[in-house]
Amino acid sequence: MTLHQLFEWLEATPLGVMVRESAWGFPILVAFHIMGIMLSVGTLVWFDLRLLGVSMTGVRASLMYRRLMPWMFTGFAVMFITGFMLLAGFATNAYGNVYFRIKIIAMMLAAVNALFYHRLTERRIVHWDDSPGPPTAARMAGLVSISVWMTVIVAGRMMSYTMF
Amino acid sequence: MAAFFVWLEGTRMAIAVRDSLMLTGALSAVHLVGFTLTTGGALVANLNLLGLLFPDRPPLEVTRPASRGIALGLTISALTGVLLFAPRATVASVNGIFQMKMLLLVAAVLFHSLVHQRVARTATSSSMRRGTGAVGLVLWVGLALAGCAYILLE
Repeated sequence: MTLHQLFEWLEATPLGVMVRESAWGFPILVAFHIMGIMLSVGTLVWFDLRLLGVSMTGVRASLMYRRLMPWMFTGFAVMFITGFMLLAGFATNAYGNVYFRIKIIAMMLAAVNALFYHRLTERRIVHWDDSPGPPTAARMAGLVSISVWMTVIVAGRMMSYTMF
Repeated sequence: MAAFFVWLEGTRMAIAVRDSLMLTGALSAVHLVGFTLTTGGALVANLNLLGLLFPDRPPLEVTRPASRGIALGLTISALTGVLLFAPRATVASVNGIFQMKMLLLVAAVLFHSLVHQRVARTATSSSMRRGTGAVGLVLWVGLALAGCAYILLE
């Protein structure tokens, strides 16, 4: 099964049909998707700014992550669930859309960046946890995170103007 | 006011936005980036007053940077918002959801500037802090929902 066939199948599932044909399904899902962005990226940015040494430098980086994590992950869960449902409704339209591809690549980069940070950079956090100026690797993680998530938001919004 | 909106719709800026779907899309995308920064800052500041985020930090230590984030986000959203509003000024200005969005925007900004920051600065009671955080959260989330509703139902 090719990726395009998978997308065709997804669009034909009862979920895809429901999202596409329901009068209120689409606007409600988009509203939840945007509220999910507010909760996830809106709070993640504050951890990224701490990694960059730009904001709230008086708070330990590890504490910042622990306190923001529940809000971030709740937002990401809402965003991913509603995003998947929206994709199911319009999968074949999304497949050929350049902004959808940019969005997916940016999300993959965000995942790799987060993995790299938690597996490598964070392991030496005891050396810089209290420091208002984290090391270059941590600053890079913050900068990449902000850049790719802003790219995800911009590409996601552009999809609305280029898909239909 | 109606005459001003008619004039605004006829400006070269409004025509340029109306004639270009890609420009409208790009402006809307940057508007959403501003929205994310604004609401993210508002969430952090109000959840802190509610005692749900960084309850062990002095409120001012959280409110001060969060307010800068809100200001930056609002600047981005306002600039792009004016450009998005211009080509549809006459229709949008009489739209009930748009009017609600603007009302909530003014209320949220005034409440944050006049009440929230004062409560964060002065050592008031925890019930005062929680009440302020709750009202602030309702205003900013209401603004976000009105923004979503306007995009989807206009």
